[in-house]
Amino acid sequence: MGSSEKRSKDVMSDIPTFSAENLQNNLKVIQNSRTFLSIIAGVLAGIIGFTGLTGFVFYFVVMLITSVGLMAKAGFSADLYFDSWNRVLFDGFLGGLMSFVLFWTFAYDLVHIF
Amino acid sequence: MAEDLVLDTAIRDWVLIPLSVVMVLIGILRYFVSKLMRSSPTPDAKMVKEGQVVIRARNLKAGANFIPPKSFRARRFYFSNEENGLLHVPKDQAQNPQAQMFSDPNMATDMMKKNLSMIIPQTLTFAWVNFFFSGFVAAKIPFPLTQRFRSMLQNGIDLSTVDVSYVSSRSWYFLNLFGLRGLFSLILGDENAIDDTQRMMQMGGFGFDASKSLSAEKDGLDIIQHEWALPRFELRAESVLRKLVQ
Repeated sequence: MGSSEKRSKDVMSDIPTFSAENLQNNLKVIQNSRTFLSIIAGVLAGIIGFTGLTGFVFYFVVMLITSVGLMAKAGFSADLYFDSWNRVLFDGFLGGLMSFVLFWTFAYDLVHIF
Repeated sequence: MAEDLVLDTAIRDWVLIPLSVVMVLIGILRYFVSKLMRSSPTPDAKMVKEGQVVIRARNLKAGANFIPPKSFRARRFYFSNEENGLLHVPKDQAQNPQAQMFSDPNMATDMMKKNLSMIIPQTLTFAWVNFFFSGFVAAKIPFPLTQRFRSMLQNGIDLSTVDVSYVSSRSWYFLNLFGLRGLFSLILGDENAIDDTQRMMQMGGFGFDASKSLSAEKDGLDIIQHEWALPRFELRAESVLRKLVQ
């Protein structure tokens, strides 16, 4: 992961040194965990019976928790594993939204509508 | 807002759940069928060679700053000089990718197979949904939407008084089609998603044009600004050591 390369940012900040494959793998992990959590969040929101804005707020909260969790996993030093913080915060955010809405609708219908 | 519709539980048991389950199963089936049908492409020696050259040039570009200026220049010359550089493509040799595709029937059938494995299940499921479930109000999305979404969500129901958040079964099919992508990438691994994007690329770019990517790499090498990193690595080593000593 090139852990030592990033230590002294003041000297090395202008030359990026990281392994592209590892970076890709890390991003994939983020993507997967976000998708998984958005599906779980959708089912949860549906069962609890959130409607309207509450559901989306719930999604944001879950994604925020995911971000915090990912950061904790990365030891709060994203520089070691990703090229920027935005990756941890926003990657897979919109892709997960679609799955969230689908599973939210599905669970909500099964439990509350019929 | 219209008052709530009462939906029959039979709709849930016989429309909503079966439709969703079938969509998931068909997605999995499609994945395995396309995996079975995928013929391993017989590599053409020239294509492989060009691909390797491109990869080497890319590696050089990525690691340019870690070698001394002189060696970088030598390597760049090796790749991109005008006479016999590896990346230099003579004008007359650059062939039209379309013509190349027609000369190689294997490529065309392979692409057709891929496209068919995508299109056929989709048309079939759509026809199936249309035939059995047309005109149902199958679901209700738990958030309000504006009238604009009526055509999207109530495809197949021609009632303007129903609240927009009610979803017809045909539209539920579409929602599934887009929303299940995430689930598939989880249960089938990333191969599935990668396949889709590759398919898109093939549809757009109509095959891999070697000469074009070669010259693109050449341009990339030519404009690269070389700056050797080693002198500053000493500074870095110093700071690291200082940190260790502290």
